[in-house]
Amino acid sequence: MNRSTDFYVDGKRHILVADDEMINRELLENILCDEYDVLMAEDGEMAYDVIKENRNTLSLILLDLMMPKLNGLDLLPRLKEDPDLKGIPVIVLTSDQASEVESLKRGAADFIPKPYPQPDVIKARISRSIELAEDRQIISATERDELTGLYSSEYFYRYGEQFDKYHPDSDMDALCLDVNHFHIVNERFGMAKGDEILKRIADCLTKTFPASDCVICRKTADTFLVYCSHRDDYTSITDKMSEVCGDMPTSVRLRIGVYAYCDKKLDIRSRFDRAKIAADLIRNNYSVFVSMFDEKLMEKELFAEQLVDEFPKALAEKQFKVFFQPKFNITGDKPVLSSAEALVRWFHPTLGMISPGRFIQLFEEDGLIAQLDEYIWRSAAETIADWKNRLGISVPVSVNLSRAEMYDPALVETFDKITSEYGITPEDIYLEITESAYVRDSDQIVDRVKELRDHGFFIEMDDFGSGYSSLNMISELPIDALKLDMMFIRNAFDKINDTRMISIVIDIADYLGVPVIAEGVETEEQYLALKKLGCTIIQGYYFSKPVPADEFERFLTEKGS
Amino acid sequence: MLTIDALKQFGADTDDGLSRCMGNETFYFKLIGKVVDDKNFKALEDAVAAKDLAAAFDAAHSLKGVLGNLALTPVYEPVYEITELLRARSDIDYSPYLKAISEKRAELAGLIG
Repeated sequence: MNRSTDFYVDGKRHILVADDEMINRELLENILCDEYDVLMAEDGEMAYDVIKENRNTLSLILLDLMMPKLNGLDLLPRLKEDPDLKGIPVIVLTSDQASEVESLKRGAADFIPKPYPQPDVIKARISRSIELAEDRQIISATERDELTGLYSSEYFYRYGEQFDKYHPDSDMDALCLDVNHFHIVNERFGMAKGDEILKRIADCLTKTFPASDCVICRKTADTFLVYCSHRDDYTSITDKMSEVCGDMPTSVRLRIGVYAYCDKKLDIRSRFDRAKIAADLIRNNYSVFVSMFDEKLMEKELFAEQLVDEFPKALAEKQFKVFFQPKFNITGDKPVLSSAEALVRWFHPTLGMISPGRFIQLFEEDGLIAQLDEYIWRSAAETIADWKNRLGISVPVSVNLSRAEMYDPALVETFDKITSEYGITPEDIYLEITESAYVRDSDQIVDRVKELRDHGFFIEMDDFGSGYSSLNMISELPIDALKLDMMFIRNAFDKINDTRMISIVIDIADYLGVPVIAEGVETEEQYLALKKLGCTIIQGYYFSKPVPADEFERFLTEKGS
Repeated sequence: MLTIDALKQFGADTDDGLSRCMGNETFYFKLIGKVVDDKNFKALEDAVAAKDLAAAFDAAHSLKGVLGNLALTPVYEPVYEITELLRARSDIDYSPYLKAISEKRAELAGLIG
């Protein structure tokens, strides 16, 4: 039977009355309100908006042909040409016999003359048109999945929306169910067995989720969607599914992604996207079968998407600002400014300052990092040139390179171009390359680093100790400084108060004949301990946080004096 | 005070009108109260005065529908006639029709009191 009619048990079908005369609207509403929910529109455009908004729940439109803004005769073909709207039957209201034929030609289901006939006649004509339209919907071939008899996804979404309309206060869950490694089942035991399993799951779902408060569909191969009133326990359902397939040659296990207490303001498809996100989280986990959607997860994803979307505009509008954090040589009696690290900040017009921790990795994944990095390199070069020209002081500034950029054959050329464009030298700009960049494809990376060094650039190996460089390899690496990973400092002082690992790294650096830079230094205790251990250069909040170029000038003038 | 008898005397087909109101007299009277103030009466006169026959037709046509539904025959009839003339964009003197409409409308308004 037609499921759509089940949903009207609690509610009434919706009818739109579109007529510019209030009295006519009121007459019809009065006639129909016992049996239907009557929506009203007083001109053609308003009618069109109401129809679009209620396209999935509207059962019929009563359309006056002569209306301001958009008359009914012009609205009719617009409805009939729209695949989403053409299924809604339209009865035209008209006092002109000539228009009756014309409107039937344009797709009207029927007409009601003015002055209106007896209410019983009006009701009978409406009821007949709705019945015909709904019957037509039932026999549509695509409504059901051939194999399982469940709804196909398109109908499923519509019925889900209808369900909401008539049960607006029900707490609903969106479920996405997948069979773990179903493709293997088909591969090993053949399609027939695979189909048998899907049918049994479908049967079991139908029994578990009664039609009174659930809608079920088979989305694709082994993915089922269920829209149902909230339930607390879904684990027992996966057990039940495994049980009904107990005699199959392989164990069948379903994983369920649950988006519980759906936000009904969200489009119904998006609700199931969320259930799918949850289901995908446990794709390769064989001990957890139910995964709940977490709002925070989505917020994180949405935030990331927003940042990626807005990146081009932000770059064009120079929302990214380069800050400088000083590095001090601590080998003498007094710390002496030795260089600075260029660090980016995003000043977003509405989100405020966004720290690089929230977007660097994201942009590395999306390949946007190359554009951002070049922007930073250029900003840094510009500032270096400005300090040189205006203050007559030159302090090298280090910039960060991402792993992906190390594969760019034009990398050296880019740096040569930047230095010559801004009138600075390779000695002015240090390059920080993270240790982990060396690990994979190390030959290729090492060659690129050599090339950079040959052109006069100073190479700092960043985050040393966070990757897994083999000690054997380190001795051959073309580097000019080792930059200790921040975690060393944290672990050494915060947790175990054990600086032995730092001494080992300093020994390695000594062996390589390069200085050690410690970053993330925050306290005097750390500073003094590192000095004692033989660390060469220190960077961190103990001296200064990263500051804008103009603020940084105070370090330069101090050094100059 | 509007009554069914008064409306009958006026010439309205109250059985017909009431049936469209599902037999609800109060509702019927309420709608009649609204129709005497329908803005299309004035729109019709203005459009005829401005010789905008298309606009005059729209106004008359709308009125015709409402008056017909409420079965207010004495007002409906002259409105029906003028609607058909306007539909044909007849180049005639419309004032007798407007006068008839206006008189019947006033008479109806008088019944409401």
